[in-house]
Amino acid sequence: MVRARGLLVLTVAALVAFACGSSSGAAGSKGTIKIGSDLPVCTVGGQSTANGVQFAVNQKNAAGGVNGYTIAYTSFDDCSQGSYSADVGVENVQKMLGDSKFLGMIGPYNSAVAKAEIPISSPQHFTMISPSNTNPCLTKEQLPPLPPCSYHAADLRNGNANNYWRVVTTDDYQGPAMADYYYKTLNITDVAILDDSTVFGVGIAGSFEAEFKKLGGTVAKHSEYKKDQQGSDFRSILNAFRTAGAKAVYVGGTDDQNICIPRKQMKDLGWDVPFGGGDGIETTNCIDQATGNEPGIYATSAGADATQVPGAASTIAAFRTAFPGANDFGGYTMQAYDAANALMAAIGRAINDANGGTPSREQVRAEMAKTKGFVGVVGTYDFDANGDTSLKIVSIYVVQPGLTPATSTGVCGSKTAKDACFVWKTQFDFAKLSS
Amino acid sequence: MASSVSALNRFRSLQLGGITLADFGFFFLTGLAILYLGVQAVFDPKTFFQTLDFGVADGAIYALVALGYTMVYGIIELINFAHGDIFTLSAFIGSALLGFFAVNGNSFTLTNLIALAVVIPVVMLIIGGINVTIERIAYRPLRNAPRLAPLITAIGMSFIVEGVMFLWHGAAIVSVPDLLPHGPGFQTYIGGVFFTFKDVFVVVSAVILVSLLAIFINRSKLGKAMRATAQDRDAAQLMGIDINRTISATFFIGALLAAAGGMIYGLYFTSLDYHLGFRAGLIAFTAAVFGGIGNIPGAALGGLLIGLVQAFSDNYVGSKWTEVVIFGILIGVLVFRPTGLLGMRVPEK
Repeated sequence: MVRARGLLVLTVAALVAFACGSSSGAAGSKGTIKIGSDLPVCTVGGQSTANGVQFAVNQKNAAGGVNGYTIAYTSFDDCSQGSYSADVGVENVQKMLGDSKFLGMIGPYNSAVAKAEIPISSPQHFTMISPSNTNPCLTKEQLPPLPPCSYHAADLRNGNANNYWRVVTTDDYQGPAMADYYYKTLNITDVAILDDSTVFGVGIAGSFEAEFKKLGGTVAKHSEYKKDQQGSDFRSILNAFRTAGAKAVYVGGTDDQNICIPRKQMKDLGWDVPFGGGDGIETTNCIDQATGNEPGIYATSAGADATQVPGAASTIAAFRTAFPGANDFGGYTMQAYDAANALMAAIGRAINDANGGTPSREQVRAEMAKTKGFVGVVGTYDFDANGDTSLKIVSIYVVQPGLTPATSTGVCGSKTAKDACFVWKTQFDFAKLSS
Repeated sequence: MASSVSALNRFRSLQLGGITLADFGFFFLTGLAILYLGVQAVFDPKTFFQTLDFGVADGAIYALVALGYTMVYGIIELINFAHGDIFTLSAFIGSALLGFFAVNGNSFTLTNLIALAVVIPVVMLIIGGINVTIERIAYRPLRNAPRLAPLITAIGMSFIVEGVMFLWHGAAIVSVPDLLPHGPGFQTYIGGVFFTFKDVFVVVSAVILVSLLAIFINRSKLGKAMRATAQDRDAAQLMGIDINRTISATFFIGALLAAAGGMIYGLYFTSLDYHLGFRAGLIAFTAAVFGGIGNIPGAALGGLLIGLVQAFSDNYVGSKWTEVVIFGILIGVLVFRPTGLLGMRVPEK
């Protein structure tokens, strides 16, 4: 094993030497700068996101690195027992903070992890760019009709300059996007709302309800449940929705609260109307829960779908060549690719600030904060002082049958309906709508 | 302790116009609920009868689980908390075994029928064996210990069974193939109320199982031994009844019903998770207390009524209040009518 590793080091060294000799950029001639990612790579979604970072770093190093430095990328896993863990995430960030060569990270994947990590990283001015966090409270306050934040962005940073950015937009746009889609595109005027009594579920259901009423629609009934108390029988709730005259159901919640079981039971009632929700149901688990009644589930996602961005096609094609596995490309792969490129661009400018030497973490953070007109795969965008992207795009997906992970733009079922997948329908650009 | 019990007894036996306060409270609350439902049935019969349909189907499943609680309590005065998890485990095992057959979840085929005819009895036997094993290792050594001890091992067994299911499938839902006849042709509107074949299947199978159990308890020799053991364990032993074998048989039969209930639940709802049995078990336990713990017809009736209460509460009160209503009933029964609807039956000391 030791000998094998020695052989590997020799091989890599030879390759690097060869690369140095042949490329004009002379990658690695000044040394290496490390960046990390903290993602739940035990999941399909987490690994496909890490692939985006890896791809961006490989491309950058192949093109000569960043101002003469080679970027060394380490993927940290924040999984514990099969799903994300804020505690493991914090440990990972502490590992990166303990090595002065780490100048920034991509991640985390889950908002709850970010909430735990920002207080650790911000005193060290350690740049974090999340490809997928959507909880508004990480960067700003929630305005009515959303409930106030249970924690505050300023408290997480505790007086330090902002060190956290994200390339997707926030949950407070998801509810309104689906309200618009229901009312204007599906021509639904009466809906019933079901929320799972969680902070996320109540918030997204509230923002949907406010927008739907503003458009002139009627909310026939708004019910809530708690997973531990509900069991599996949602039929009485659904029957009450139907009796109240609802022509569609909107759910505020996540699949881990069984929010998609009502979808299956709508079929048990012979009630065939649209069923929609936020990114908490744009998941494989949701399709599995709805078994037998998958088609017609509508879901939003708080970001642009890279496969729908005209300029992204060549990057995605190059990625597919480098990562040919069926599940290598996911919904956040290109967001992670953009995040990694934004970070490496900031590192490049920080190297200039350090007169060509290795920059400090604060120099990288300060340069990241100055990012303007970043040309990414999912669009060209700025970041505001809070760390939010100027791209306020929400995508709408619907489940259709007869597909595979390779032919769909979203995730597919994993159990009874492996051919039922989310397919991109349209997107709402709230930056354009509000201006 | 003694004074609070006597205070409770004084309270129960207070007279109010010829009947005790306890009975008055019980009949008053029951009457109020029936009156409210009657009004709903007249003004909106469609919703009422649809909800009734859901409630009867859920209640039939609760009844099957409640029978296991009540049989075990009747014979050894133990609340077998692992029973709800045994119920869940049966659907887990059933789902795995059905995977060996080329079943069709979209339409009803002969293979489905064969698969069900093979898998359901096998699951019942496996679960029966597991429950007997649990009794053997966790309850029998403590049979003469203070009553708190086996109660705690029962809670422990509940966590162990849940833990095994968590390790097996994780927290995600487990799907059971939708094998019963369903879809167009197996569903109909009668007077605006939607009925499916599955509703009928659940209720009919529960009625058959409960009837078989009643016949077994009342007619068979082992059933007689179980009744005798329940009445007075020591006297039964003196009459030559093998107590250990009789108690094992009680656990075995209780598990058969729970396994049948679990399979019916799985086929009816087609998805469940490892944690299901915790809540279902508590509710079935409430049903057993409601009907009169230790009383077999009482458990069946209690299960049915709790199913109805759940469905009506989901619809008329709001689902977030349903647990409050169900456990409110548990408290109400314990205060006003501790013997339950049909009377409690426990060993005579």
